[in-house]
Amino acid sequence: MKQLVELMVNNESYELAVEPQTTLLEVLRNDLGLTGTKEACGTGECGSCTVLIDGRPMLSCLTLALDCSQRDIVTIEGLAEGERMSPVQQAFQDCGAIQCGFCTPGMILSATALLEETPRPTEEQIKKALEGNLCRCTGYNKIIEAVKKASGQIAPDQIIPDKIISEQEQESQ
Amino acid sequence: MILPKFRHIRPRSIEEAVQLLAEYGPETRLCAGGTDLFPRMKYGLIRPEAVISLKGIPVKTPKVAPGGELHLDALMSLAEVARSPLVMKQAPILAEAAFNVGSNQIRQMATLGGNLCLEPRCSFYNQSHTFQFVDPCFKRNGDQCYLLPKGKKCCAVFCGDTASALISLGALVNIAGPQGNRELSVEDLYTGDPLRPIDISEKEILTDIHLPVYPLSRGSSFGRFSLRGGVEFAALNVAVTLDMGEDKTSCLKARIAVGAVRSAPVRMIGAEAAMAGNRLSKERIEEAAHLAAAEAHPFPHHGYTAPYLRECLKVETRRAILLAKKRVDGI
Ligand SMILES: Cc1cc2nc3c(=O)[nH]c(=O)nc-3n(C[C@H](O)[C@H](O)[C@H](O)COP(=O)(O)OP(=O)(O)OC[C@H]3O[C@@H](n4cnc5c(N)ncnc54)[C@H](O)[C@@H]3O)c2cc1C
Ligand code: FES
Ligand code: FES
Repeated sequence: MKQLVELMVNNESYELAVEPQTTLLEVLRNDLGLTGTKEACGTGECGSCTVLIDGRPMLSCLTLALDCSQRDIVTIEGLAEGERMSPVQQAFQDCGAIQCGFCTPGMILSATALLEETPRPTEEQIKKALEGNLCRCTGYNKIIEAVKKASGQIAPDQIIPDKIISEQEQESQ
Repeated sequence: MILPKFRHIRPRSIEEAVQLLAEYGPETRLCAGGTDLFPRMKYGLIRPEAVISLKGIPVKTPKVAPGGELHLDALMSLAEVARSPLVMKQAPILAEAAFNVGSNQIRQMATLGGNLCLEPRCSFYNQSHTFQFVDPCFKRNGDQCYLLPKGKKCCAVFCGDTASALISLGALVNIAGPQGNRELSVEDLYTGDPLRPIDISEKEILTDIHLPVYPLSRGSSFGRFSLRGGVEFAALNVAVTLDMGEDKTSCLKARIAVGAVRSAPVRMIGAEAAMAGNRLSKERIEEAAHLAAAEAHPFPHHGYTAPYLRECLKVETRRAILLAKKRVDGI
């Protein structure tokens, strides 16, 4: 039997009738059309469904929508201000930390939560905070670089864009 | 992956939850963080009729009782446990163990109580069985275990990390039920039977964890081995607590608990006895590590063979004892 739940997602309030077994992930994607949150494993291993609940990164695939009433939910769609990306989003783009992009929403939300709590994390702290977000493309180095950049620990001119690297490689060949 | 249908009930207090458990009967499951329960439900391993969510119950902050004991709410998230200053002071290895569970997201959701009540696991059982055409194992009401050749008893392994730390510290748990509250040592919480792993009935709820005073002369450490080191259950974990004499070299009492080797965490009685009352020389520590490896009898699990786990245990126990000793020295 469906039950009513009031959800606060990206500062907007929604009232929905959901089946008890519906996960927050299903509501976000199927009912609210917020498809930035991804599902891969569905069992807690990959982190692609990460959202912020009361500021903390949590797995929407293992969270019931009914357990989210009166909690503040932020998805990847809630980070940018209008056309302007959040510093973490911008850093991911600048550093080439995105390839297929499937892991990216979860990565960015985990990184955002980390920087909120630890504005200048060490590399170890970055790795620990992102250990639950798997990426099959980037090899992680650029993601770590992006988090360092977003925390102001790498100056923008220290980052060599991919284009220049490939030009350099061509020259050396 | 979708969850099967169930009724969702959300009590506001432990008392209400205890009442609801009695009302709804044995086909009901408690959900604290849901990080163990929901994957099992998604795989179709259990299909409870009702889920009692403990997420609507306010979580008590850690508190030091008049006698100096530290009281922790079982509903505290592992992330809170890992960063609580009181836990770091009075149970530093509990904070370490909590910090090593799963991933950051898991730790934010998972609770300490849920970690203690974690179902024993096995790589043959913990998966979807929809497309499997083998006879069910003991945990699915069958009559064989696939872990050992011709296995005639279930060998699922209790992989929780915080239990070893709590046993080594001599912690107690409080359990609420229809007949009131009862206290149990964490060590006695585990039955060793993988089909009925904890001594908590279907009508009871684990509510609090009580940690004894942590004397100045105490040193402790938590070691954990896994292949990848993140988002992975432990191949084994070991928690060591040493109470040292005034000279800081002789050991008055030792408590060693090892997890993820059998269906319950196990105390290393032989290794403890080898250290108690003795000076902790290099040879003595080596002897204790050897004894631990000999007395643990690990089940092979998750791709690790028993001889490999014994070797690992020797190394991890030696390291943990050395670190615990160092910590008493204040280095
Ligand atoms: C990807 C992944 C990695 C993981 N890695 C680890 C790891 O490294 N180490 C580890 O220890 N665990 C790990 N886990 C397992 C699990 O996340 C943790 O053990 C967690 O602490 C379980 O707590 P929970 O609150 O989420 O439990 P839940 O899923 O809510 O409950 C677990 C079980 O305990 C019962 N229960 C819960 N609370 C109570 C209570 N108060 N009283 C009585 N019964 C109760 C439930 O009915 C259920 O059967 C991992 C899980 C995943 C998905
Ligand atoms: S989809 Fe939620 S952790 Fe993989
Ligand atoms: S960019 Fe493809 S999975 Fe990370």
